Amino acid sequence: MSTFIDIKYALRLLFKAPKFTAMTLAVLIGGLSISLFTFSFLYSTMYKDIPLPNGDTMLSVNAEFNGAFQILNSYEFSVIKDQQTVLSEFGVYDKNDFRLSFDDSGKNVFGTYVDEGFFTFSSTKAIQGRTLQKADMAANAAPVAVISSQLWKNDYSSNKNIIGKTIIVNDIVTEIIGVMPQGYRFPGSSHLWLPIKSSMIKTSPKNANIVYLYGRIKPGISKAKAEQTLSQQLNALYQQSVTQYNLEKGTKSVQLLTFPFAQMGGQGTIIFTFLNVIAGMILLLACINVGNLLLARAIERQKETAIRAALGASSHRLVSQLMWEGIIITVLGGVLSVLLVGAALHYTNIILHSWNADALVFWWQWGMDKETLLMAIAFTLVTIFLSSFLPAWRSANQDINTTLRDGTRGAQGKKAGRLSRYLVTTQVFLVAILMLIGSMSAYVSHKFVNLEMGDDYSNVMTARMDLPSNKYPEAQQQIAFYQRLMADIKNHPKVVDVVTNNWLGSLSLTLDGVDYTDENSKPTVDTISVIGSTDTVGVDLVDGRFFDHQDKAGNRKVAIISQSMANRYWPGEAVVGKSFTLKVNDNNEKLFIVGVVTNRMNPATMLGKLNSADEIYISALQFMTSYQILYYRISGNLINSEEIFYQALYKTDRTIDLFYAVQPAEKNRGLMRDTMQLTSNLTFTTGFFALMLALVGIYGLTANSVAQRTHEIGIRRAVGATDKSIVQMFLKQGAKQLIIGLGLALIIFVLIAFGFNKMSEGIFPAYLYLVIGATVVIGLSVIVMLAIYAPTRRAVKMEPSSALRYE
Amino acid sequence: MTTLIELTGISKTFLTEEIETRAIDSVNLVIKKGEYISLSGQSGCGKSTLLSLLGLLDSSTHGSYKLEGVDVSSLSRDQRAKIRSEQIGFVFQSFNLISDLTVFENVMLPLTYQSGLTKSVIETKVQQVLEKVEMSHRKDHFPSQLSGGQQQRVAVARALVNDPAIILADEPTGNLDSKNAETVLTLLDKLHQEGSTICMVTHDPASAKRAERCLEMFDGRLIADNINVKNNATAMPTPELAVG
Ligand SMILES: Nc1ncnc2c1ncn2[C@@H]1O[C@H](COP(=O)(O)OP(=O)(O)OP(=O)(O)O)[C@@H](O)[C@H]1O
Ligand SMILES: [Mg+2]
Repeated sequence: MSTFIDIKYALRLLFKAPKFTAMTLAVLIGGLSISLFTFSFLYSTMYKDIPLPNGDTMLSVNAEFNGAFQILNSYEFSVIKDQQTVLSEFGVYDKNDFRLSFDDSGKNVFGTYVDEGFFTFSSTKAIQGRTLQKADMAANAAPVAVISSQLWKNDYSSNKNIIGKTIIVNDIVTEIIGVMPQGYRFPGSSHLWLPIKSSMIKTSPKNANIVYLYGRIKPGISKAKAEQTLSQQLNALYQQSVTQYNLEKGTKSVQLLTFPFAQMGGQGTIIFTFLNVIAGMILLLACINVGNLLLARAIERQKETAIRAALGASSHRLVSQLMWEGIIITVLGGVLSVLLVGAALHYTNIILHSWNADALVFWWQWGMDKETLLMAIAFTLVTIFLSSFLPAWRSANQDINTTLRDGTRGAQGKKAGRLSRYLVTTQVFLVAILMLIGSMSAYVSHKFVNLEMGDDYSNVMTARMDLPSNKYPEAQQQIAFYQRLMADIKNHPKVVDVVTNNWLGSLSLTLDGVDYTDENSKPTVDTISVIGSTDTVGVDLVDGRFFDHQDKAGNRKVAIISQSMANRYWPGEAVVGKSFTLKVNDNNEKLFIVGVVTNRMNPATMLGKLNSADEIYISALQFMTSYQILYYRISGNLINSEEIFYQALYKTDRTIDLFYAVQPAEKNRGLMRDTMQLTSNLTFTTGFFALMLALVGIYGLTANSVAQRTHEIGIRRAVGATDKSIVQMFLKQGAKQLIIGLGLALIIFVLIAFGFNKMSEGIFPAYLYLVIGATVVIGLSVIVMLAIYAPTRRAVKMEPSSALRYE
Repeated sequence: MTTLIELTGISKTFLTEEIETRAIDSVNLVIKKGEYISLSGQSGCGKSTLLSLLGLLDSSTHGSYKLEGVDVSSLSRDQRAKIRSEQIGFVFQSFNLISDLTVFENVMLPLTYQSGLTKSVIETKVQQVLEKVEMSHRKDHFPSQLSGGQQQRVAVARALVNDPAIILADEPTGNLDSKNAETVLTLLDKLHQEGSTICMVTHDPASAKRAERCLEMFDGRLIADNINVKNNATAMPTPELAVG
């Protein structure tokens, strides 16, 4: 009965102050929604079991080498497969991009080479025909494929007689033997499954290739035990190779990860924790503000509470009475947040799937689920504890006597004041951290979005490939392959020009007539080997000439350098004809400059200025590598222009596998830009919300403490304080909290910046951190001071005689 | 004796939620230096309001107010604050000490709002007035640790610390028992003998009699102004009666 009266009373109070109720609700919903959304999104992305039968026991087998995530190679797999005793299933697959040809057009799909255990492992049967079997893996077996439901629907109109029909995969006529059920895209976003041949799993340590491994632990064996056993075997194997093949020293261990986790490169925990901590901070800010608003109400009713206590109410009764208001509003906020987050997740799911449906792994489905609901309940309870229970408890346990005696007015003032000061400091601290991290990430994203690359990828198509060393062991054979391929592509009437690039990394440069104390004092310059003219990708000639077919082995070795390099080492001079020495493949090569080209952003200096790093181009005919990135420029639209490449490739050598499907060169960049833009916007919105929260919070806290001290202000004014001195008193108080909060935040920021700077290898200049730090300090100071000034100013305007009457 | 305060045609009207309250209605009053005045009248007649006006805690709606010959009715807020800190001492019924400050800090407060005082000057001054009210042994206590009478003595010390031209006391004994009240009244007597100008609001006829001049108010007006002969042998010229 008494509870019922308390609830009725709380509801009456909430209805009586609709503005207060609305503001509290808004703060609550904002804080709860942000943290709930972050949690749910990340949880679905990383921690949910794969939606397949026995999905909870499906593991991806990976390695860790000196702390870094790695994928095992085929040699390690073949040895450990025979040795291991802890896995009941252990198999291999290889992800790839495949070209499907239909008449004179075609399309690219993600596909997987799988072994005979793959479909058993994923506990799924075909809905038409059969899955792959041991016999299909044989070297001389007829080529067969299993296709996804989606492919069957879209390209074969769900033809009931699909089994036995053929499909042209990478120019090989392949028989379709099965169709998988709707939604099955394992191991990620596969639409096509082909048998893995033993030739794809090289078992000699020398030419081993990277393979993806799946496994399932035998019942009764713990994950830790399994990892430990496998790690011992893998490390023993690696230590043998270290001495035998002179490999990098270190320890290798096995990591058994869930597929979603392996998808994140094993880095999931850090990201998950980091983002959740940020979201948690926002929730904490919201809690502080709601708590403060409720505390203000409790203080207003302090006298009433004291009277009730004097009349015999137990402290339990008082706490619950004061809490109901908070409980009602928090529960309401929690319910509304769940609805809001549910809608937001639903739309995020739609947007992300519309963006790049084919590339998204099939277990990425975002929406309201059991885990999110449980988390919502947990968050709501935490909020109730922080923002309702604590203030109510504090208020109920006040000293009745001092409050009622009222001799000195607001005997609780000191404690309340201290609490309010702590809260202001905490708010400043949290917001400063959020703003610092936010501006850093916004800056990084902004930088990426507006990156000036120095090249022109419009109308350019790109493909990456590596020539198998057994088929193309000699540089001459490789050169012949690429020259034939490029000539074929260029022959097409739509193609303007073709070029290949391969980034060789930063190579050590020796200039004529300069004394270097040692190897380390030599500058290093980003070097790219090229066949063809770089103006294909918008890197234009400024002086001299591009490479031609004469720049080959045996002739004088040549180089083209970027404008920035010419200006750096030969300012004001003509550089064509000059020479320098570059360490290529451990040989010091003397190179003669034949041309100068415009600057270009290279991968190593992604965030610097266009001219902050230099490029050297060398002729691939003189320094050949089997791996190349090929670019070709199209005149007119890009429709079907990838077919030009495949036609040429199949004519030259149909067995070459591509790293990525042929695609517009802009595509990856565009995707990266979109992602960065989204990140930047999200960070900005979140940061802005946090700032608004803090603004409201600090304003509220100050207004509250000013109100509590109105009487004191009256006394001070009565004995001669000027308006200015009163305002100053509050500002000084605020400044103290501001300095503490900001100081703590800056210390943490310095640590983060230090770590980030190390991680990013110093791509950001040190002054950037200073600028961000200074901007946040100044910006936040101004805002906090305004939030303190406004309510103080208002209180001071009151005549001292009225302030003295104020209760 | 020289004139300290001269009020001419002072009125004060409060406007709250469209209800107009005329708290002070055309009051004329002259206060001489060294006078001890008591102000009485029934509840709500405007005593506290008049005291607020005298102490520049509020400004009048009409009329002029001269303090030591200077017209202060149209001063800015800061100028009025300066006068309060230098020339006026307040004692309230509810003591009005700041709970977060110690006795010493409370008493020191008016001096902190004056400019050009050194720390040692302030400390000696505070020590001096605390001794005068016999509270120096409690200077590090907080107000909540003191009895009502002790708190009021501290409040008197605070009113004295800036050597004010006038001490304004609004029912200083209203919250005290008779013993404590006597202490405070004796203190005021002593101050008067030392030459302070005092204006005290009181309900208690006995307390009022201790003053040399008794004013009485009714409904915002001054209705009586009597010299208390028994208390003051050297009678003054009949003061101007101020019933507007
Ligand atoms: N700030 C104010 N706003 C509105 N009305 C006021 C205000 N201050 C005083 N009054 C009104 O002015 C009149 C005089 O009030 P005042 O406090 O001066 O009375 P008082 O003589 O001191 O009474 P008491 O002996 O009860 O203290 C009263 O009617 C009061 O309601
Ligand atoms: Mg009064």
